[in-house]
Amino acid sequence: MDHASCPPASPQAPSAPGGPPDDAQRREFLGAAFKITGGAVVLLAGLDAAANTETHAPPPGGDAYNWEEHRWAYVIDTSKCIGCGSCVRACKAENNVPDGFVRTWVERYIVGPGGSYVDSPKGGLDGFPAAPTAFTPTKSFFVPKMCNHCKETPCVQVCPVGASYRTKDGVVLVDGKSCIGCGYCVQACPYGSRYLHPETQTADKCTWCYHRITKGLKPACVEVCPTATRAFGDMLREDDPVRQTIDRERVAIMQGHLLTQPQCFYLNLDMEVR
Amino acid sequence: MEHGRHVFRITLVVIVGLTAVLIGRGFLVPKSHGIFGAYRADNVAEQMKARSPAHHGPASCAPCHKAKSEARAAGSHKTVSCEVCHGPLLLHVADGKVTGKMPVDKAFTLCARCHRRIQGRPEKFPQVVLEQHVTTRLEGAVCLECHDAHSPKL
Repeated sequence: MDHASCPPASPQAPSAPGGPPDDAQRREFLGAAFKITGGAVVLLAGLDAAANTETHAPPPGGDAYNWEEHRWAYVIDTSKCIGCGSCVRACKAENNVPDGFVRTWVERYIVGPGGSYVDSPKGGLDGFPAAPTAFTPTKSFFVPKMCNHCKETPCVQVCPVGASYRTKDGVVLVDGKSCIGCGYCVQACPYGSRYLHPETQTADKCTWCYHRITKGLKPACVEVCPTATRAFGDMLREDDPVRQTIDRERVAIMQGHLLTQPQCFYLNLDMEVR
Repeated sequence: MEHGRHVFRITLVVIVGLTAVLIGRGFLVPKSHGIFGAYRADNVAEQMKARSPAHHGPASCAPCHKAKSEARAAGSHKTVSCEVCHGPLLLHVADGKVTGKMPVDKAFTLCARCHRRIQGRPEKFPQVVLEQHVTTRLEGAVCLECHDAHSPKL
């Protein structure tokens, strides 16, 4: 409230019409008013959100599924992957992923002293062709990739409308009704796991098959993996094989230096993999 | 008293502004926004029922396709889910009723996705150089002439 700064010794009455000093004052006056209003709204909105968050609303799944009782995690053993692409096809069929896009994909790394070669034709949807390389490879392997469902999600942080969020059971989701399709999250994701859906023009991504896991099923990619490369489990269950793997084995995460705390853990991850 | 009028006016402006914003916010912000965090809480339930699960695993095939299921479960393809080759169950059965035929891909390319020898596959995994392995022409359902897809060991 800035009116105290009005010069008290002004020869003109402040309410007199016209004149540059009055206009300037009125402008300051209104400017200050709007600033205060804006500030108050931001404050109120913050208080509102904080107050709402603390209330114990019923979990969204009803009686059938309590999201407080689960915290999902994923383990990928790259040494088992045969690059068949069954996971990519199953994901597409399960989630109606549009042509030209994938929610999960498989990359092939061919590495030798003379160089390295990485490919992922159509994300591995139709498997992989023979790969003639100019160098003599000494090792080669497949690496399935997908949304890492990070605890500290860059994609959620940048969303300007609250369309991206992380559920209490640890799944990063996009609310298609709120999403305005600005694509910030697509840019922010260091794993390249988001895309703009060509029909809805909203951000789309792996949901860990939220429609399946909340019914007690595994994600489609895990369901069809013939070599058990992919495993999905619950960190809140002590006897869960995935939790035991993460607790007891030497697991790696992708791009750990970004501190995003991914919840996809890798076994036998090579340093070539980014 | 001039200052008093200023205070009154700016208070009025602030109150009118605040009211307008709060009313506008009431219309624009979705009802369930902010219950669990800065997002629309209703979306969690929407995501749960976004679609019917399409894949149901080998156990759901066994009741009707007993012989093939048993052959698969006993053979070296026991870890390969029926839906890997046949596609999701939802194409075939919905709500317990048969709704359509499952696509059956018998082409050698289906087998080649796993068993063609290429860079990248683990050495232990059974794989062949198709051009050497197949002595006749490499086309169509050539693999099935010798191998049973449900129990492929010769």
